Amino acid sequence: MSRGNNELDRLREGRTELENHYIDELVSGNLSRRDFLRRGSTIGMSIPLLGAILAACGGGGSSGAASTSGGSSTAATGAPTKGGMLRVASVTPAAAVNPLTVSDAGGLTMLNQTGEFLIFDSNLKLALQPMLALSWTPNSDGSVWTFKLRPNVTFHNGAMMTADDVVYTFQQLADPKNASNALSTFTGVLTPAGVKMVDPTTVEFHLEAPNGNFPYLVSSDNYNAIIVPKGTDYGKWQTTFVGTGAFKLGSYTQNVGATFMPNPNYWGTKPYLDSTSFKFYSSQQPMLLALQGNDVDVIAQFVPAGAAAILNNPTYKIIKLKSANHRELSMRNDQAPFTDARVRQAVAYTIDRPGAVAALLSGDGTVANDYPFGPRFPSTDTSVPQRTQDIAKAKQLLAAAGHPNGFSTTMATEIYQEIPQLAQVIVADAAKAGIKITPKIESQALYYGKATYGNSDWLDATMSLVDYGDRGVPNVYLSAPLTSDGPWNAAHFKNKTYDGMVKQYVAATDLQTQKQIAGKIENLLLQETPLVIPYWIDGLTASTQGVNGLNPTSIAQIYLNAAYKSA
Amino acid sequence: MVRFILKRLGLALITLFLLSVIVFLLGQVLPSDPGRSVLGPLADPHAVKALDHQLGVDKPILTQYWNWISNFPGTSTQYQAPIGPILGPALGRSIKLAIFAFIIVVPLGILGGVVSALNYGRPVDKTISIVGQSALTIPEFVSGIILIVIFAVELKWLPVSATAPPGSGFFTQVKYLILPVIPLVLILFGYIARMARVGTVEALDSDYARTAILKGLPRGVVIRRHVLRNSLLPTITVVATQTGYLIGGLVVIETLFRYNGIGLLTYNAANQHDIPMLEACVLTIGVVYMVVTLIADISFSLLNPRIRLRAAE
Repeated sequence: MSRGNNELDRLREGRTELENHYIDELVSGNLSRRDFLRRGSTIGMSIPLLGAILAACGGGGSSGAASTSGGSSTAATGAPTKGGMLRVASVTPAAAVNPLTVSDAGGLTMLNQTGEFLIFDSNLKLALQPMLALSWTPNSDGSVWTFKLRPNVTFHNGAMMTADDVVYTFQQLADPKNASNALSTFTGVLTPAGVKMVDPTTVEFHLEAPNGNFPYLVSSDNYNAIIVPKGTDYGKWQTTFVGTGAFKLGSYTQNVGATFMPNPNYWGTKPYLDSTSFKFYSSQQPMLLALQGNDVDVIAQFVPAGAAAILNNPTYKIIKLKSANHRELSMRNDQAPFTDARVRQAVAYTIDRPGAVAALLSGDGTVANDYPFGPRFPSTDTSVPQRTQDIAKAKQLLAAAGHPNGFSTTMATEIYQEIPQLAQVIVADAAKAGIKITPKIESQALYYGKATYGNSDWLDATMSLVDYGDRGVPNVYLSAPLTSDGPWNAAHFKNKTYDGMVKQYVAATDLQTQKQIAGKIENLLLQETPLVIPYWIDGLTASTQGVNGLNPTSIAQIYLNAAYKSA
Repeated sequence: MVRFILKRLGLALITLFLLSVIVFLLGQVLPSDPGRSVLGPLADPHAVKALDHQLGVDKPILTQYWNWISNFPGTSTQYQAPIGPILGPALGRSIKLAIFAFIIVVPLGILGGVVSALNYGRPVDKTISIVGQSALTIPEFVSGIILIVIFAVELKWLPVSATAPPGSGFFTQVKYLILPVIPLVLILFGYIARMARVGTVEALDSDYARTAILKGLPRGVVIRRHVLRNSLLPTITVVATQTGYLIGGLVVIETLFRYNGIGLLTYNAANQHDIPMLEACVLTIGVVYMVVTLIADISFSLLNPRIRLRAAE
């Protein structure tokens, strides 16, 4: 162990205060190896350095974010086989494949086939990985972030990638005059004027407010943020798919599929495959049948509901990723009877969460605790006890709130994945405590409406059950649906103390502070229970046994740079 | 004949114009708007506004209609791409599937109906009727999944998807279409067999058939010359009216077999609030339907000399 400590001392030399702080936290056991990797990479420590520090500290404390069944998907034995075509089933892009406007799983899967981000948020490696940026560092309060770019990277059109292209990309994404989907991430964080070129390989981001998690916002988590050449007409991007990735466009046919060829000038390891072929499906069932019928080798992403034939079958490899994909059941905090926190708590106590995970997700999920901190985020304070089903307590809370015989109410929700079934579970569980909920299950277009207050069942209904996709940091979950001025506050929850805590959390650059504030937020949200979060849903990718080296993320991206088919 | 066709064409144009107005107005009633559909429910309102402006859907409705009609077929709002290259191949695929289905089911259905009628009230008649009616009630997604699981997943005789690789020959394409055609055959067989049966029974019962039998013509000749011809008439009506369903209504089959026809395209256009695409799809289906009805009317009059074209005018 003494050799290890000498080594550690050597590694500590020249590190910043924050970096040494994380090393201290790792040594003292406050930070697991996994959290250390995530936090270290967020503040820009290199992966080799993080690895060396972990090695110097010895083993223990590690936990995997991904598990595979039916064989190892990530690291295969023996040398990779070269050649061949990989056939991938993917959801049909719902709209144009335009990096500025894409908002659906099918579209973002296409973006990442040829496009790359400054940073890759790897669910498999548990850390932020340098992609087109080599390093990133904050100033003292986290309001200015400096990114060093990878040199000698060329776009598929032959042009060299420089800071100019990165500045152009982020100025377009952050411009309120553009139809940019990334505005929901950048509003209040970054304006076009805040993106500055320092030299051809250095870019600075001057933020509107300190943000300790900013690297996540320019990583693959922000799926719109692939780097495109300066001057790119985003509306025509789908004719070229121009990017810097290991694959370049072969052909793209709306609604049918796409093919990709290796990029001979790729900066990293060249792909093993001769080509990839994506086939689009408009629902999950045909995808599962296509894998079983050997029409495809891989399903890029699927959900557990209705997938039992694949999930419990040793013929297939399943990659499971811990994700922050979840459902929120909001209750109108400004409407009787939910004005009383005891009534909202009572609803939360009726739900059998482990039962729902087993029945609706085939066990591929984690029970959640009515606040948006979960297993995906290292800042989660895990010491706060989990809420479990307690009908007696629910009845007692209802009686104390003046509803000894329960009450009747309505709940709006959408037809999406397992949500209609979850609505039935909630209705049945709540009935056990005398709460009679009448569900209104609508198409997504009807349910979301105009997505503004007064024009949307999602935001206006007394109770509302909605889906939230995966994100690398909880910032959006903490603010949009819960802060007083949040645009998606379906619970109409307004709490000044909470708003202040969120501001502190977002600004905090070190994990210990984040964890401390997270604990306070968790307790406050349990006490107030503006909404119920029943579970977190795993991200799932499936392939036949012969496929190796897949690199999926929990938001439906899949990188095939290292993929190959063994004979 | 020429006058008849011209008159029909004129009426068709008026119908298509009214159809386009109705679809356009209905499109305004659909929930959500194009910008919101493309950017998703969680998009920033600024972005939605910017996209709506870019697409021109924030203009007055008459301006929008004029813009659409003067750029027909125009650009899809959801795909941000010209409609022609998306709609054309989809229509081609739908027609291919429909023709294949008719080629199999029409002779089969007529045969079933005639055999039923000739064995009126006997067990053969009852069996054909019951089988036809039962098959009619099996939803496509049930028969489709069962067929895929048996023939594609377990036996591996036929491909799971209906889309043949690009550049496939005729027989490969047929092989890919066998599975998706079966649910359609199951549904249409019952209809056609029933209509053919009714037509045959009526014809057998008619005075001219009786006369033909009484004057000593052999049974086979009576059936071929007098009965079959008349029993075909109601069948043509069924085929013509089912064309709309086969071209534009196969959302389930197209989803299940990953076959991108015009049905799925129309469905998605309506869901995504893509009015130019929806208009183009509906009008295309309308044109196909009218052409088929016209052909049906003409063949009707050719088969049945009692119906003169003048009467149809």
